[in-house]
Amino acid sequence: MSKNRVSRRQFLNYTLTGVGGFMAAGMLMPMVRFAVDPVLQSKGESDFIPTPQKVDEITEEPTRVDYKFEQVDAWYTSEETGTAWVYKDEKGEIVALSPVCKHLGCVVDWNTDKSNPEHFYCPCHGGLYTKDGKNVPGTPPIAALDVFPIKEVDGYLYLGKAEPR
Amino acid sequence: MKWNSQDIQLFIKEREYIDTAVVPLYPVSFREDMKQSVSMTEFIQLLSGQLEKQFKGRLLMLPGISYLKTLSEDKLTSDLKEWEDELISQGFKHIFYITSDSDWKTVEDKLTGGLIWMPSIPLENMDDQYKNSILDDQVKQLLNLFVRKWQNND
Repeated sequence: MSKNRVSRRQFLNYTLTGVGGFMAAGMLMPMVRFAVDPVLQSKGESDFIPTPQKVDEITEEPTRVDYKFEQVDAWYTSEETGTAWVYKDEKGEIVALSPVCKHLGCVVDWNTDKSNPEHFYCPCHGGLYTKDGKNVPGTPPIAALDVFPIKEVDGYLYLGKAEPR
Repeated sequence: MKWNSQDIQLFIKEREYIDTAVVPLYPVSFREDMKQSVSMTEFIQLLSGQLEKQFKGRLLMLPGISYLKTLSEDKLTSDLKEWEDELISQGFKHIFYITSDSDWKTVEDKLTGGLIWMPSIPLENMDDQYKNSILDDQVKQLLNLFVRKWQNND
């Protein structure tokens, strides 16, 4: 028998403290987790959506840029495709216009109307917009095309939520 | 315009601008061609959704007509004629039917509206990205059809 022999009393003390400690931890941990949860909550992804368009490949000619994003309709999430018309203006700044006609919501196209070249044209009711997205007076639309806020990340174009002017 | 409350409110307000009705035709069968009728319905549903997005401001996408494949051709045609008459009397200048069911091809002449027949593509084995690009292509072909029809009558 060695001198350090653990007595029955000691053994029970250790065991009970150990088990009790685990039980207390089991109760406290979730509480602590709940308490600090708001801090750990990851911020929802920024509102900017990546597009496959490289920024240095944008020209002065408006080009169609398709991008994908997740849309949540109530409990149903689906992948939707969005479109933007992107070009560089005279100052070399990038402009991204929404293709949704401000009249009744058709999709406008660049340079498709032969009698009005260099315009955005809406095939539904003949709405016209100049290159900077301003509506041509005398055509049905009553406002300029919405503009996407833009951001460059790693050379790629990111689009925000389209805003009316 | 879709067939939902929000869009219909806009439709009622801007009715003069919306002169085109599109009616998807969905075959329903429970017999040996059941699978086929399902894939036709599925395809046309997706296609009409895309189409509506492009031409939101000028067309009203109706909820679609489901019909039993077992019904006779005459019955189906006369039912559709009733839809047609109502739509015309309500001021729609252009009516389009969109379907994958080739049986409609044989009665096309009896209809006033244009029949768009798109062969259905087996979409069930495709991943979403591929599916979208195929649908986009199909819709692009349809766009010209609509624009040409509008231009001829304007």
